[in-house]
Formats: sequence, C-alpha cells, structure tokens
Amino acid sequence: MKTRILGFTALVAVAAATVNGLFIVPADLNQGDAQRIMYVHVASAWLAYLSFGVTAMAGIGYLVRRDLRLDAVALAGAEVGVMLTAFAIWGGMMWGRPVWGVFWQWEDPRLTTTALLLALYAGYLLFRRLTDDPHRRAARAAVVGLIAAIDIPIVHFSVIWWRGLHQGPTIGDPSKILNPSAPPLFVLALMSMLAAFTLVWGYLMVRRYQLARTEWEIEEHGRLGRISAARRSFTTESMAEESAP
Amino acid sequence: MSDVWFVIAGYGVILGGLAGYAIALARRLARARQASLRIRGEAESATTADLGE
Repeated sequence: MKTRILGFTALVAVAAATVNGLFIVPADLNQGDAQRIMYVHVASAWLAYLSFGVTAMAGIGYLVRRDLRLDAVALAGAEVGVMLTAFAIWGGMMWGRPVWGVFWQWEDPRLTTTALLLALYAGYLLFRRLTDDPHRRAARAAVVGLIAAIDIPIVHFSVIWWRGLHQGPTIGDPSKILNPSAPPLFVLALMSMLAAFTLVWGYLMVRRYQLARTEWEIEEHGRLGRISAARRSFTTESMAEESAP
Repeated sequence: MSDVWFVIAGYGVILGGLAGYAIALARRLARARQASLRIRGEAESATTADLGE
C-alpha cells in the first residue's frame, strides 16, 4: 500500500514538474525550447549515478554480510541505473542536435565515458545470468559492480579533467551552489524535476527489489522441489531394490 | 516552440520509458508472485507427501 502511495505521488509530481518545465518556465534566450530537455536529461543522469552508487554500496554490503537482500538492492540499482543512463544519453542527444548541431561526438569525454558506463552496467546485468547459484552470483556481481563503479567519478569529472563539447557543471560545482550560472527559475524547474524523478526512482527501486526477492524465492523453492523429488525418487528406487528377489 | 520535435522526442521517450518500465515491472512482479504462490503450494504438498512416506 505504501509503495502504491509512493507511485501515485511520483506520478503527480512528474506531471506537475513536466507542465512546469514545458509550459510555465520561459524558454532560454540562447538555446530556445531545446533547453527544456535539460530538466529530464540532468535528472536522469544524476539518478543514474545514484543507482550505480547504490549498486556499488549494496555490493560491498553483500561481500561483508553475505545477505542476499543486499544483492537484490544491487540488482535493482543496476537495472534502474541502466535505464536512466540510456534516458540521459537520449535526452542529451535530443538537446545536442539543435544546440551543438550534432547528436553525438565520440571525441567528447563526457559522452564517451557515459556510453562506457551504460555498457559496463548492461554487462553487469548480463554477467548475473552466467550462474544459478545465488551466493556465487551475488559475490561475482558485487565485484563487477565495484569495478564498473570506477567509471562514475570519471564520468562526473570528465568535463573538468578534459576538454570536450560538453559544458562544465552549471550548478553541481560547489562554488556555484549559492550562485548558479543558470537563472533561479531554471534551477527551480530542474530541482522540481529532480525531486519528482527521485520519487519515481524510489518507486521503481522498491518494485525491482520486490521482484528480485520474489524471483529468488521461486529459485529457492525450485531447488527445494528438485531436492524433494530426488529424495522421493531415491526412496522409491531403494524400496524397489529391497523388495526385489 | 522552436525545436519542438526534439523536445517532444526527449520528453516522450524518457517519460514514456519510465511509465513503460513501471508497468512492465508491475506485470513481472504480479507474474512472479503468482508463480511463487503456486510453487510454494506444490512444495508444501510434496513435503506432506514426503512425511506421509
């Protein structure tokens, strides 16, 4: 019930933030309406970082405590994060074409490292399918998730470390938190969208976690069922051998 | 609105994708819960059979 309330709140918040971002906040003087894409693009990108951070932290937690619930959290973070990274890339492309004149540029460090991040965590999800043993899978995935997490700070700081097409931080830079280079109305619209997306993120994480736990239960029951069937078959064979002349 | 198709494509894919994923997740969860209940029932009846033997 609480998850449904969260889902409904998230839906209302996204609808309100979208109306605000598309119709209430004015268009940017230089970028025009394309700038409106930034609200969903940046929110997707930040929450993708958060998702992969959760995956890495839950992975460390699993390696320390060997609790499969933490592996379910890691899986939820990776799947939601992959989707959000894809959306961030898509939003960036839709903004880049009218503003930069190109959808994509491989020479840009931010774009390339983000594409790498997507590939790494898509690989993480595929890697999880290689083994059926839940603890072995969780341990291996935790290590892969931690290795992939190295790319998160590289993506974030790529605009500072290297020169490229992608602009530097507009409000994420600590020196710009109290004096952002974007107008307050734009910052407010971005923060509203970020808050709304965070609610959606929370809802999706809970649902994906519940799904992972249920799938694990099915696997576990399947395993117990196979053991039980093997025991029954063994008992029947033993009785048949004993009764044979 | 200038660049309107880019804005529509940007918001459409992202918001539509989020909605689609949420719906797909709800369906997968409902199916998994049904399967879990069915398998749990089968496992319990198998355990009862084992105890009977």
